[in-house]
Order: sequence, then C-alpha cells, then structure tokens
Amino acid sequence: MSDQQSVRQPGPAAAPPVANSRERRTVPGPASEDTRLAVEIRELVAHGDMDDARDRFAGLVAAHQRRASRIAYQYLRDAAEADEAVQDAFVKAFGHIASYREAWPFEVWFTRILINGCLDRRKARARRDRWFAPADDTPHDETRVPFGGVAELDPEAQLLARERRARLSAAIDRLDGRQRTVFMLCHYGDCTPREVSAMTGLNESTVRVHLFRAARKLRALLGAKS
Amino acid sequence: MIGRSEHLPDDRLVECYFSDRGGEPLDPPAVEHLADCQSCGMRYAELVGFLDDMRTASDVETDAVFTPERLHQQHEHILRRLEHASRSARVISFPGQSSSHPAAAAGRVAPRWLAAAAAAGLFVGVAVGGTFLHPGFERSVTSMHVANNATAAARLAPSATVLVNAPANVSDSIDDDAFLMQLEFALERPHTQELQPFDALTPHVRPVGVNDIH
Repeated sequence: MSDQQSVRQPGPAAAPPVANSRERRTVPGPASEDTRLAVEIRELVAHGDMDDARDRFAGLVAAHQRRASRIAYQYLRDAAEADEAVQDAFVKAFGHIASYREAWPFEVWFTRILINGCLDRRKARARRDRWFAPADDTPHDETRVPFGGVAELDPEAQLLARERRARLSAAIDRLDGRQRTVFMLCHYGDCTPREVSAMTGLNESTVRVHLFRAARKLRALLGAKS
Repeated sequence: MIGRSEHLPDDRLVECYFSDRGGEPLDPPAVEHLADCQSCGMRYAELVGFLDDMRTASDVETDAVFTPERLHQQHEHILRRLEHASRSARVISFPGQSSSHPAAAAGRVAPRWLAAAAAAGLFVGVAVGGTFLHPGFERSVTSMHVANNATAAARLAPSATVLVNAPANVSDSIDDDAFLMQLEFALERPHTQELQPFDALTPHVRPVGVNDIH
C-alpha cells in the first residue's frame, strides 16, 4: 500500500474504541462515549431532528478537532489547507453519519475520512505543481504566517523549527509507503496498532513491525543528517 | 516465555511502547526480559526516546500553529457549514413571491394573460400603424419578399394607391430608397481581396429586391 493509496474501510472486527486524547488513552471499553454519541446523532438525523444532531455533533467536533488538525497538518504541511481538510472531514462525517456503524469506533471512522481527504489534497497539489510553475521555491506553508502561531517566536527559533520540520518531512517522505502510513497514523494520528490494523487491513503484528522499522529508519536518516 | 538467548522481536517492543503509552500494564515476561537483557533494553530505550521526542516536537509544533483561538474559529466554521449544509435547497419564485403561499399558483395566471394581451396589442398597433400612417412600411416589407408569383403584384397594388394619395411621403421613401441603394452599392463588393471569393460564393438577395421594385 502506498502513501497515496486510500486508507481501507475498517471491517466489522475493528479495534475496540479508545479515548480521543493522548492523556485519556486507557484500556479500551466496549463502546466509547464518542461512538455512542455518533450513534445518537445518526438516530437523530434519521428522525429529521437536525438541530439536535448538530448540537451533539458539535461535541464530537470539539473532542476530535485538535487531533484532526495535527494529523492534517502533518500530512499537508500547510496550516490553511489542513484547516480546510479538517472542516471538510467533519462536514463529510456529519453528512454521511447515516452510514456509520457502531462496530467501528467513531475515531477510526472519522480518521479514515480525514486521511482520505488529506491524500486527495496531496494528489491535487501534486497535479498543480506539475502543471503550474510555483510562485516561489519555498515549501508550502513555510512562508505563511500562521494564525497566531510560529510567527510569534523569535526568528532564530522559527528558523530552527523550520529546518527541523523540513528534515523530518524529508525523512518521512523517504519511508516506504506502508511504513509511512503506519507511522503517520500511529504517531500523528494517535492510533494504536490495533486501530491502524482496522484502518489499513494489515495484520496488527505487521503494523507494529512497520512502525518499528519506520522509527529505526527515521532515526538513521535524521541522525545521518544532523 | 522469553528465554535469555532470544531477544524481543521488533513488534513486541512496539507493543510494549504502546501499552506503556496507554497506561496499560506491560507484559510481565517482556518487562523481565527488558530488565535483564541489555541489548533489548537499549533498543527499547532508543525506540521510546525517539518516538517521545518526535511526539513532543509535533505537539509543540501543532500547538503553535493551531492555537486555541484558531481552533475555536475552526469550530465555528464547521458548525456554520453544517448548518448551511443541512438546510434543504429552496426554489425562490420570481419576482419574489413565496411559493409556499396558497394563492401563488392562481396569482401567476393573471400576469401571463396580461403579458399575452400586451403582446397582442403591440402587434396589432404596429401593424395598423405601419399600414395607415407609414405607407412605405408596407412596401418595404413587401419588397423583402421575392415577387416571382402572381400574388406579388396584387400586394404591391394597394401601396401604389397609397403613394398616389400621399405625394409628400413618396419623396421621403424615394430618398430612403436612394440612400439604401447607395449603401448597398457601397457594400456590394468587399474591399478586401481575400474575401472576394467568399463573397462570390455567398448568395445575395439585394438584386432580387431592387429588380422587383422597379
């Protein structure tokens, strides 16, 4: 599976649900609060109670927003585009909530939508870069002033952060397709190997091996350059 | 059970890392082996250190870009888009009448009849006015038809009567005809040489109209 390939739809034997923040990631239960909430929203939409459904969905958005932004940003390396990708993913998730099945944790289902959207955007960007000459040769968002973000740092810190990002990004791009996907999902997506297994269809043990090798390769690449 | 001579495979190390990260208890044999085996302990420490460093760096980076203010704004945008998306499309009737109004359908009949009556009135007015007030009008309209049948002469006859009864208008119409004829002569052949073959291939109605009148 290459990096440009879409993340597979999780099967019925998906991973048990997990909490939505790094700190809350504990022993998986039978159904997470998010999954139950998603099921409730689905029922509300089915009954045409859109206002209530939107209100409930706002809670899901607040819970997953930061994590989704991190994933999208790591995939796209552009704050504005990541912002749009996150918005699109939430809107799409709400629009397709009728197709959501509680056998999959909401987090897994939503992450799949988000990552597919990010991959589509990367493809579109690659097409654009192929046909249109760039206005300048700087990376995508390195010159943009983030919304109250890195621009507030001092210039030296900005420069160092930019160099680190560029090195890491280049190293991740040199990973094998599966390794890259597994690493992105586990590291930036906060997914456990079991969840990545559900998303990609890979064996859980294979996911762990890919992650280990990705980390080893990255360490070698980053260590060699530094 | 892991023997002393065997090292922990890569996937077990990753499993230990995720268990530790998630606050789950580690596999006791793996913990025991990591404590005893220096090589595996070093591999595990390197893995954990590397992943944790990257994790911290990515958290700092993301927090710097996606500030709470920005996330709040993003949240608002998402909710606004959801509200907009879940609102069904409406067909707005023109000009500004509400389609849900029960009398709207009946109300549309009157303007349609009014429009038809206005168009009919305009047509009749123009026709009558052209016939009685501007005799040249009918003749010019007649001249546009190819008069190669017997009815053409009959059509031209009333206009000749009108010309006799209205001598003042004759000179006007003759002037108009002269002007138009000059115009036609001027435009008879294109001045651009390259277009002349195309002009030769194009059928012209001008000679027919002029010959029929005179």
